[in-house]
Amino acid sequence: MLSENKTITILSVIAAVLFVFAFLMVIFYAPIEVNMGLVQKVFYFHMSAAWVGMLAFLMAAIFGILYLVHKDLKWDRLIASSVEIGLLFTVICILSGMIWARPIWNTWWTWDPRLTTVTIMAFTYIAFILLRRSMDEPSKRAQFSAIYAIVGFVTVPLTFFSARLLRTIHPIIFGSGEIDMNLNQPMLTTMFISLGAFTIMYVALLLQRAHLMQAEDDLMQLRMHTEIDADWEDQADA
Amino acid sequence: MKFEAKQLCKSYGPQRVLLNLDLSLQSGEVVCLLGQNGAGKSTLIRLLSGLLKPTSGEITMDGMLADFSEAEVRRKIGLILHQTFLYEQLTGAENLQLYARLYGTKLAEGDLKQLMARVGLGKVRPVPVRSYSRGMKQRLTIARALLNNPQILLLDEPYTGLDQQGSAMLNQLLAEEQENQRIILVTTHELSFIRQVASRFAILHRGRIAESIPNANLSLDELQERYNAVVNYRAKVQVEAVS
Amino acid sequence: MKTWLGTAWVLVWKDLVQEWRSRDVLTSMFSFAVLSLFIFNYALELSPIDRAEIAPGLIWVVMVFAGTLGLNRSFAAEQDQGSFEGLMMAVPELSVIYLAKMITNLLMMFGLAILVIPIYSLLYNQSLFDLRFFGILMLGAWGYSAAGTLISSMTVQTRMRDLLLPVLLFPLLLPVNMAVVKSGSAIITVSALPEFQSWINLLLVYDVIMTVVSLMVFEYVIRE
Repeated sequence: MLSENKTITILSVIAAVLFVFAFLMVIFYAPIEVNMGLVQKVFYFHMSAAWVGMLAFLMAAIFGILYLVHKDLKWDRLIASSVEIGLLFTVICILSGMIWARPIWNTWWTWDPRLTTVTIMAFTYIAFILLRRSMDEPSKRAQFSAIYAIVGFVTVPLTFFSARLLRTIHPIIFGSGEIDMNLNQPMLTTMFISLGAFTIMYVALLLQRAHLMQAEDDLMQLRMHTEIDADWEDQADA
Repeated sequence: MKFEAKQLCKSYGPQRVLLNLDLSLQSGEVVCLLGQNGAGKSTLIRLLSGLLKPTSGEITMDGMLADFSEAEVRRKIGLILHQTFLYEQLTGAENLQLYARLYGTKLAEGDLKQLMARVGLGKVRPVPVRSYSRGMKQRLTIARALLNNPQILLLDEPYTGLDQQGSAMLNQLLAEEQENQRIILVTTHELSFIRQVASRFAILHRGRIAESIPNANLSLDELQERYNAVVNYRAKVQVEAVS
Repeated sequence: MKTWLGTAWVLVWKDLVQEWRSRDVLTSMFSFAVLSLFIFNYALELSPIDRAEIAPGLIWVVMVFAGTLGLNRSFAAEQDQGSFEGLMMAVPELSVIYLAKMITNLLMMFGLAILVIPIYSLLYNQSLFDLRFFGILMLGAWGYSAAGTLISSMTVQTRMRDLLLPVLLFPLLLPVNMAVVKSGSAIITVSALPEFQSWINLLLVYDVIMTVVSLMVFEYVIRE
């Protein structure tokens, strides 16, 4: 118990330090992009948030498989935590994208396939939270969460593939022959540092959130049992 | 055959229903499970039929761990729960034929008629179950549970909706199935009926079998008294403490 | 394998007979679909040329919305009379229950398409009779039924029930929707679409993956 707490604390500290470091790098180290100007600096956190969103949803699916195999509620708490965090970062990604789009594309929102697909993906996981809220029995809820996390993530690559088939105006950084944004070395370094900071932050948040959920479950268990045990132990005494 | 539950525990999240329950059922035995509302009778039936997974503990058939993912294991059990499992738009015969086919067999015309007659539905016209009365549906449900000659019968409130005749018919069936060396577990509140066929009574209270009473020509009053004694134990202790 | 398919067929037959005797779902799905065609006429007052272009998308949207009515009722009989449990005790393998329901839902979508296409062609004086277009609709319907059957088997067991189905299902259908609309309109408007084959592949991949994953996880939907 203590060691788990310690791990979380250490991770949180590392994440915080790295985050501040990345932030300072974005401001002072990374050069201003020639064409886009200052607003391009949104890119570092935008990209990192997008990455953590995907990572979190991927992990939720993996935790889902682990739950179905082991039937241990520990995995269920990780699924739910991972989805919550993923959703948060996806929203950050969308919002920071909008800030960038306003001066560059001259609009807050455009029906570009990349934007549309990411937003609909966010809706998948909003639905996930609704699904959980609509169920009371913990093991059933865990089962359905696991299944939906898996099925939801299975559609993600297909969704992204379909976005690639449509012509997008969104800059493509990875997985394409031509690079839309010219990133020089200091820019790349900044990007990787902020990716690292966000990733560690994800892990710290994940453990923290799952830990909190466990505490909630434990508390509930204690409350129920003090009542029932008092009731049932009478009989055992007799 | 021996059908046993060992150290069975079941909780729904933080809520405990069964706690270290032991129960052993033998071939040719009709065991009546008694208990208050919410004592966990239906939960126990669902656990024994493999529809629920125990939180801990095991269920064995002839000493072997029952693996309910195997169809052969599930098919050893004839099950009646509160709902009928029937399809309202199909006729009685069609319902039975459907379940027979799911079990991988096909009922011959004669067998089907015989089964319908056994539950007193021999003369019913082929209309959808939708237009059956509650009692008729229950009779059909009983026929459905007996369909594939299961070795184990788990019957949750089988007397529901049955009239005097219907209950007598069910008792007759239970006696016959007992002759056939089936394992039979029944939950009910109809003590006057089950008393005629039960070989013993098991009282489920506070998560375990609190008492097992062999039915040696027990009168209804005696049975009621012993049941109350278990269920109201705590109340009695409190009253005594006060006096 | 033979008993597996045999059992699935028995279950499909049961669903079809049940539905044929009451016709509850079919009637409401069909009336809803035809009604939507009329409503779209008012909502989108388009020139015939624009309308020709959006026809495939419109047909698909009508099918998806009308289809949810069917999906919501798809496990109603099992839920109302508890037959889920009866089936579970009897069938050789639990996934067969999913397969059967998926086939039933696919057949319902098939029926819906057969009704909606002629009515649209009649009302809007534009022929949509094209086997390839119909084939694309059916590929879409397969993916739709595969995902829809799994999701409805879950939502029927939750507190919000039919409120939850579209919310859970529609985000998952995004690739299907895009593929059907894009490749469908390419066929109907006889325009060149370089990525046509990729869209069809995407549909096929979606259908197969969704079916296989659902078959694998369905056991956990109905059993602890």
